[in-house]
Amino acid sequence: MIAVEGVVKRFGAHTVLDGVSLTVAPGEVVTILGSSGSGKSTLIRCINGLETLDGGRITVDGLDVADPRQLAQARRLSATVFQLFNLYPHMTVLRNITLAPELVLKRPKAEVDGQARALLASVGLAGKADSYPGQLSGGQRQRVGICRALAMNPRYLLLDEVTSALDPEMTAEVLAILGKLATRQPGGAGTAMLFVTHEVEFARRISTRIVFLDQGRLIVDLPTDQFFAADGGLAHPRIRQFLSKMAPAAPLAEIPA
Amino acid sequence: MPFDPTVLTSHLDTLLAGAWLTAEVCALGIAAAFSLAAALGVLAVGRGWAGRLARLYVDVFRNVPFVVQVFFLFYGLPEVGVYIDAFWTGVLALGLVGGAYGSDVVRSGILAIEPGVVEAAKVGGLSRLAIIRRIVLPIALRTAIRPLGSVFVNLVLSSSILSMITLDEVTGTARGVASETYRPFEVYAFLLAAYAGLTYAVSLGIDALHRRLNRHMADNGAAPGVIHGAAPGVAHGAMGGTA
Repeated sequence: MIAVEGVVKRFGAHTVLDGVSLTVAPGEVVTILGSSGSGKSTLIRCINGLETLDGGRITVDGLDVADPRQLAQARRLSATVFQLFNLYPHMTVLRNITLAPELVLKRPKAEVDGQARALLASVGLAGKADSYPGQLSGGQRQRVGICRALAMNPRYLLLDEVTSALDPEMTAEVLAILGKLATRQPGGAGTAMLFVTHEVEFARRISTRIVFLDQGRLIVDLPTDQFFAADGGLAHPRIRQFLSKMAPAAPLAEIPA
Repeated sequence: MPFDPTVLTSHLDTLLAGAWLTAEVCALGIAAAFSLAAALGVLAVGRGWAGRLARLYVDVFRNVPFVVQVFFLFYGLPEVGVYIDAFWTGVLALGLVGGAYGSDVVRSGILAIEPGVVEAAKVGGLSRLAIIRRIVLPIALRTAIRPLGSVFVNLVLSSSILSMITLDEVTGTARGVASETYRPFEVYAFLLAAYAGLTYAVSLGIDALHRRLNRHMADNGAAPGVIHGAAPGVAHGAMGGTA
């Protein structure tokens, strides 16, 4: 379980996260919604140890991410997909995927290679194993980013606005893959996912729970159906305002669930 | 007096031996400079005491004339009981000064790396050393290798100063031959050609390294040839596959 307890994060005088608490249990698909600057990405970056905390505590299966040794262990349990892909530009697609499993998890090369190729095939990139990131489109790069994260066999998958840098068509191709991933083990003990996204309709379809961040505070944490219910999340004026602004951008009807 | 290269024939062995010695001391010096530049470049990016120390080193060695460094190593150090022969003094001096100049190039190459790429490696759990060796340095050297090449070419040129510490490298040898034969024109013409050849060899090596490090990298998505508009065809295929 990922447990976020009263986390405070400041950048200078600006408080980005102001006492945020949240849990993600194995198998859950939790979406973090909120406007830009509400602290969503920072929260993800605190969980994977890219930011240090100014208060509170984050544990991943009991491992405290503030402690360097425990963070190293925790990073074997979770994997992150980034908004800007962050692929290693000097390595082939295959190497991008196999590097960490080989070096960090010490798994045999042949096994990791096989898994990487299978993952690439599952996202429609079987022919791209020997290409370099610079030779791929944005959507293809993000699909590689997803494969790279999945090759770590993570218990927790952190997704930080993974479609924000993509045009609608590429967004659709990436969401299709994530949708498949999320519904593979509905409520089971599979990979838990923590999404930061602006794709409200998508979040509605795949999430088990939705939390809403506003100016660094977590103001709502509800099961998905209650979040969109008139007497649930929608009762909150800030959320109603947010959703009314987001509604027009939903080119997702044609995506297979 | 007409240009008559035949006057060199009886001294050709000596001159070529000098050129070979220059090549050797420069090759080792460049190798040392490269390693030091990489190490210092990585350290200099850091904010701790190691970073400050690395930047101090760079400032010191860039602000002292090369000939003074060479004299200090060759004539100064024996006073405190450290004896290094002329050849290894040359290698050491070239490595120390080349490392200082080169580290700044490596450092700027490191600073130009997209932070997200390094973050991805961190999150993947790679150790600090693995990140430096497999991510940071290979990416930094892609852009840094050409300016590093200029530093190395300068090292070859600076190596002529080593004739002042009794090393029989090509400049010193040529001066000897010139005073012996009274044919400075032919002798120094040889010297010109020798340095031009050596620096050209360095350039060729750097070019090859640059190509190797940048293979498949000319297009980072911005270049023609990668047509992003072509992607949806692929994408639909993929979506069909995942539906």
